[in-house]
Amino acid sequence: MEELFFIQHDVIPALWRGLLVSIRLIVPSAICGLIIGVFIGVSRVFGGTVIKTCANIYVALFRGFPLVVQLFIWYFGLPHIGIYMSPFLASVFGFSLCSGAYHSEYVRGALLSIKQGQLLAARSLGFSKMKMIISVVLPQAFRRALPGCGNEIIYLIKYSSLAYMITCIELTGEGKIIASETFKYTEIFFIVGIVYLLLTSVASWLLHRIENNLRLPGFDHYAL
Amino acid sequence: MKMIRNSVLRVEGMTKRYGQKEVLKNASLTVNEGELKILIGPSGGGKSTLLQCINFLVTPDAGRVWLKGEEIIRTHKRALYAYRQKVGMIFQDFNLFDHLTALNNVTIGLVRVRGMHKQEALDKAVYELERVGLKDHIYKYPAQLSGGQKQRVSIARALAMDPEVMLIDEPTSALDPELISEVLAVIENLRANGMTMVMSTHHMGFAREVADEIVFLEDGCILETGTPDKIFLRAECERTRAFCSKILELYGNA
Repeated sequence: MEELFFIQHDVIPALWRGLLVSIRLIVPSAICGLIIGVFIGVSRVFGGTVIKTCANIYVALFRGFPLVVQLFIWYFGLPHIGIYMSPFLASVFGFSLCSGAYHSEYVRGALLSIKQGQLLAARSLGFSKMKMIISVVLPQAFRRALPGCGNEIIYLIKYSSLAYMITCIELTGEGKIIASETFKYTEIFFIVGIVYLLLTSVASWLLHRIENNLRLPGFDHYAL
Repeated sequence: MKMIRNSVLRVEGMTKRYGQKEVLKNASLTVNEGELKILIGPSGGGKSTLLQCINFLVTPDAGRVWLKGEEIIRTHKRALYAYRQKVGMIFQDFNLFDHLTALNNVTIGLVRVRGMHKQEALDKAVYELERVGLKDHIYKYPAQLSGGQKQRVSIARALAMDPEVMLIDEPTSALDPELISEVLAVIENLRANGMTMVMSTHHMGFAREVADEIVFLEDGCILETGTPDKIFLRAECERTRAFCSKILELYGNA
């Protein structure tokens, strides 16, 4: 009885609070990350030398630094040069930039898979480079990049748990607090794990639906 | 009385090198209004490179181009894009946009490049697709079309832009004999309607029948130019004779 009371009155409200914070972290980070990824991916394939180099450096840095270190720099480091961000903002900022670097790699792969001939055809019709990228290349590349980008979003859901390291108390943070108050580490983190599993399941279901909705003849998955 | 035709397209001194290899050497060509000029010659002889240099899809190392008397300045982007709209291009492997239906393959250039109103573009696209005999296939995606149908969509896509001249690069090389005839019929029809065209092909029977002039290209050089009869029966150049006799041996006198 006591257990049930404890779960109902302490665990569930705390985790619910944490879950809402997590979702508020994940959704904007996923969207910003994807947008950054598309921009960086396009720059890496179609950019001039300068833009391409900058984009490559960006990806090298943000894929190379551990995410926790990046978050520490945004939250603890930037105040030294007079830039202050709330824990929440620093987390979204850090996640978006890191996620964008990974997305760009999937986007780049997809861009390179578009047949060269279609680019010739677009140019022969009088398309400028920008119009060609927007109307011909991206709609196709996006479909090809989606499985990879979806994977990155699933990762994001889980690495959003790092936000509590810079005092943005989300699901894992709330779990950590209750667990250390009660010493019920196993039970609490098991529940936390299940909640993440639910989140990723919902996300992959959603991503599948998007993939199916965007499916076109010629862009099917090959069934063996 | 022979009509004096205006030149639509003039190409002078086209040269292209890839590293050490010179794939196009000082090629010059004038195409008059309503004329069908056919480029023949061995593979790797520079036919595709010449065609792609004409609308600057390949950047030539030297060479100048005039469309209706006006020289095209390649570095002037706006002028280049405007010029390309007036030069329709057909590719060997169709190069349709895979994510768009046949209809939208045709409308996309009208809407995005020419800024035409959507409905107007749709009407024009339907008309152009009907013209190449694809009335029943306008909502199909490239993956659902046969090779011949794809090539006809690409012709409709180029025609919709109201080109002054069409560059056609081995339009039938990727097709089987039945499909070849449906594509060639469309091209013949264009010619009958007065479209100015430069076409490269290995289809000698067709070249001989419909070309106004044949250009023999080998190793990046234009070796000989002349009427079909001259090229096939009384070629001056030894290489042209050898190439044509090989072809006639293969395909008979068609």
